[in-house]
Amino acid sequence: MNHIRTELLRDPLFQLNIILWLTQPMPPQGSITPLLHQKGFSVYAIAPTLSVPPGIALAVQRSSLQTQQRVRPDVVLKRETDLKFALVECKASSFGVATEQAIQARTFLLLADEPLAEALGLSPEQIQASILAYALPARESARLEATLSRLSNELRRHHLPAGDSTMIGLDIDSWDVRVVFDWSGSQFFSIAPGSHPVMRVQPGDDPRPLYFIPYDPDVHQSPEENLFCKRILFERIHSAVLAAVGRASLQTNLTLNINNLLNDATFGMFGLWENRESLKHMQRMCRQLITALARAVNKEVSNSLIYEPPEDLKVVLSDTNQHHQVLAAIERFSCESMDLREPPMPDLFDDLFDA
Amino acid sequence: MDTYHLKELRNRHEVIRYFDGYMSERFDELTEKKLRRPLIKTQLLELRDGPEEIPSPKNLLLTELLRRHNVWTKQLDETMFLLHDEAEGEIGFLEVLRPRILAVYSPLPSDRFNRWVRRLVFSHPDLDYVWLSGLTFNVLWELVTRLSRPHRFTRIVFTHDSIFEIDQPEMELDEKDQEFEELAEDQNEESEIIERRATSFRLVDRVGVLQEKLKELQEIYSPMYAISQLRFPSPVGKGGHDFYDNGRVTNRSESFRDHRSHLLFVVRIYEKLLKLTEQHAWYGIQESVDVPGGFRRLVGAPVTIHFQEPLTQEVFDHWIKATFERRRNKFRLWGHPIRLGPTKVHVYGVDRHLWQPLFLELTTQGLVAILPRGTCGNTVHRLVTNVQRYLDPGATAFIGDIHYTSMIKKSTEEIPYEPHKD
Repeated sequence: MNHIRTELLRDPLFQLNIILWLTQPMPPQGSITPLLHQKGFSVYAIAPTLSVPPGIALAVQRSSLQTQQRVRPDVVLKRETDLKFALVECKASSFGVATEQAIQARTFLLLADEPLAEALGLSPEQIQASILAYALPARESARLEATLSRLSNELRRHHLPAGDSTMIGLDIDSWDVRVVFDWSGSQFFSIAPGSHPVMRVQPGDDPRPLYFIPYDPDVHQSPEENLFCKRILFERIHSAVLAAVGRASLQTNLTLNINNLLNDATFGMFGLWENRESLKHMQRMCRQLITALARAVNKEVSNSLIYEPPEDLKVVLSDTNQHHQVLAAIERFSCESMDLREPPMPDLFDDLFDA
Repeated sequence: MDTYHLKELRNRHEVIRYFDGYMSERFDELTEKKLRRPLIKTQLLELRDGPEEIPSPKNLLLTELLRRHNVWTKQLDETMFLLHDEAEGEIGFLEVLRPRILAVYSPLPSDRFNRWVRRLVFSHPDLDYVWLSGLTFNVLWELVTRLSRPHRFTRIVFTHDSIFEIDQPEMELDEKDQEFEELAEDQNEESEIIERRATSFRLVDRVGVLQEKLKELQEIYSPMYAISQLRFPSPVGKGGHDFYDNGRVTNRSESFRDHRSHLLFVVRIYEKLLKLTEQHAWYGIQESVDVPGGFRRLVGAPVTIHFQEPLTQEVFDHWIKATFERRRNKFRLWGHPIRLGPTKVHVYGVDRHLWQPLFLELTTQGLVAILPRGTCGNTVHRLVTNVQRYLDPGATAFIGDIHYTSMIKKSTEEIPYEPHKD
């Protein structure tokens, strides 16, 4: 169990979903204490692409420091009352100054200062304060804090903007998922420094909450966590198919689009991914599920689910009886019958998608 | 009074006048305990994706929907239709009371009418019962105490059945008893021996007496939170209007117009509650208002139900098994549970009635539900009703951090009570 919990704390999707739960309105004395919501913070944007304003980019070029042209923090939080913004990035562990992640962190630090208003498309007076917050296992916080301190000093030496930074440390003990705020985080979020229980866990139960964002092909996960997230994604695609067929009008064939199914299954996040390979990976996964589902359903009601490459699934509902049979067959299918460890393979439909 | 074929009634005026006269006769018979013909019953139904305004071209969709189920309609005016079923004959009249709420008025005997409604509702995902949970009834009861003089008689029925205390095979959880019948006198000597908590009883007393005692009784015995029927005493005379938790309303007053006014009153509250639930609870990634076409943010609020007492391991296991391993289950949910420990399960499933996605965390302490945008608010009300009825009558519910009861109370604000106007 301890090993599982350590792996969980390092998992970017677990971290992201915990942060999202902390911003949700929840009842008092419930199993989740939404610390950030209680202090007025809500989700301003999920995974927005922020580019470095040209003036800053030129200044960075002159400094010879390495940065990225654009970054995508996992979440941007905002407090309406005093116009505070936090760029939150989830990380499995800390990193040193000479790493790839440091280049990304340097860009975040640049943006977490004055340039943030421009990057978010706001006027300067619409942001009163901003911070870069890393969510990571609590025991990694000190090391990352040291790295960020060095990166900030470096930027300041070159007269470049460098925003404040903080750590949101995650921890799990026998009873709770906890978050740990350091002094600067405490000041920014108006939360007392130290460790706070945020999610009660019954002994023997897994601490994972319901996942808002079930899958992200761009993050690195352990095989176990990836498998868990793939299962959730498949369950959600499966439920989207079942719901659509259940609602379908009688005697009307139904066409389901893979991209729409993926958008339904990810609360619209699929439409945000810009990395073409990631998109293709998601589509392949969806096809993997759809193919297995169609095979299982067609075994019971022949030729009722027809995959029309590259993106459509046609559901044939010729009469009431067939509608009922198809529904029942879709309900009976379970992605647990699939080998989820099997990676989705590239196929000729990738090329069709490109075309 | 002459007996008409309903089809002979040509317009709304004639329908209302006929039903008024019909109820006046039935009321006399009721008083003499010689009821010769069935009372007028109303079934309130919710139409998913109902039109924004009535009358609307969507009424055509409604009649089309009914026709597909062999129900023929004759339109009397913009919102009222005669219903004729091929098998059952004349059913009664359908009125679009509010954009999303329909009422079917029928003089058919209860069993035939229930069967007909059940078949209609179960065969179409766009129709659902109007669900009045115990929590909603508790707020409506407060209104009854304010609207009725203390000496008037009312009737409250409480129903709680811990069906998950034992693992029942599928046939016993059949939909045959999903329709919540009027409380029958249990005088059958062959009735089953029940060894689980099963509460079903009615209280008939003066409004003033119940007002004084009910809260105390509820604190002593939690099944009394699970109100499943409530009578609004009629302001025009004796009797009243019995509202059931599945949206059935029986007219036990002498006036049909008064019956309809009470329907409108409750329906307005319910419609407001539906809107509030959906406004708060719908989850989705929305375009940021600040930068159109730019960033997306997560909006919505989870629905949380807290059990007053944690479920035992046995009840929890039976609940999960009965709900997700059996196609016909009380909660009408589908999903493949992901076990996350002895007392925790996640389900990324579907509401099998409305065919809409629903994500659930179920534990022995309660449940958390995420409703993706577009999921009908009725799903929440049915969930709360079923939790109170079958799991924990004293359960409390929240939409985000807002107490469900305070949301119901908010829904009752500014709703006019005009018993003689409609």
